[in-house]
Amino acid sequence: MEKLVRGVALVALGAFVVGAGYGLVQQMVKISMLQSLSNNDISVEQAMLVAEGAIKGCKKDNSVISVAVVDRNGAVRFLLRGDGASPEMADNARRKAYTARTFRQNVSTWIEHTALDAKDEKGKPIDLNGQQYLENTITEPGGVPIVRNGDAIGGVGVTGSKGGPMADEACAQAGVDAIADELL
Amino acid sequence: MFRISHLFMVASAAALLMAPQAYAQTKLTSEMAMAAARAVQTYAKNDGSDPSTVVLDTNGDIVLQLKGNNAAPHNIGLAERKAYTANMFKMKSIEWRDVSMPGKDRADERKMPKVIPLGGGVPIMVGNEVIGAVGVSGTRGGQEGDTAGAQAGADAAAALAQRPVAQN
Repeated sequence: MEKLVRGVALVALGAFVVGAGYGLVQQMVKISMLQSLSNNDISVEQAMLVAEGAIKGCKKDNSVISVAVVDRNGAVRFLLRGDGASPEMADNARRKAYTARTFRQNVSTWIEHTALDAKDEKGKPIDLNGQQYLENTITEPGGVPIVRNGDAIGGVGVTGSKGGPMADEACAQAGVDAIADELL
Repeated sequence: MFRISHLFMVASAAALLMAPQAYAQTKLTSEMAMAAARAVQTYAKNDGSDPSTVVLDTNGDIVLQLKGNNAAPHNIGLAERKAYTANMFKMKSIEWRDVSMPGKDRADERKMPKVIPLGGGVPIMVGNEVIGAVGVSGTRGGQEGDTAGAQAGADAAAALAQRPVAQN
């Protein structure tokens, strides 16, 4: 009986030591990781694949497009000005990418959402028209966010396709689709 | 009247032929810029580095811009200034750095806006013609390494250019 009690006590003590040790190690790991943030971001290689995908998507009607890919901060990761396009056209592509990234939705959806007369599902006014006055945004479709695991890691914007802004957005989507298997 | 109009047509055709030909410049295309960026990336892979790259046309306007994954804040702007310098002086920015040293004849050129006396900008040459420039910042080898990376890019872009056929 005494042996049994001593055995149970030993097991309890062992469990406590192991548990406390585990907790201590966890706390140490937590402290060592508290010092900096690390976020997912669109890489150079991914950005180039997205841009090439968008260009390919726009080739169907021989459109010459400008493409911009912004990172999670909205800064340009990659920009390519189409042949004959002005620097302003390339900058509009950047603004489309920025708008899609920062509002985490296609620019066309955001334009509808922030329209003066926009209403939610219950018919209540949304009143977000003020967002359209933010700098670097643009109220012309052609931008698609790059979302990985619900986290917006970038955006892509296109200008110059023959079919107009909605065709720009289709090209931008083709760009995102080019790295779809890396965004799961 | 019929004859007079014919005479006018002949005269204008002759005038067109005698007028100096418009300067046929090889244009830097977005495809060439993309080839340049790919070549710089290949250089960087062998180098184990993560540079930022800018390709400019002869106007000094950006055709392509690529920011490295872990680029320092100054890298992308510096890459543009290096390319701008190479395009403006039609030589590698590292060579212009040396000819514009303080005390030399060309030292005052350093006071121009946007130029930078640092290596890493290389003009894209088609024959003797400059059609743009590549600027690189952030390789391992300092200014020499950046110059080598930009040279790889400029060569790849020039390889896609069709040389204008001489007409005499």
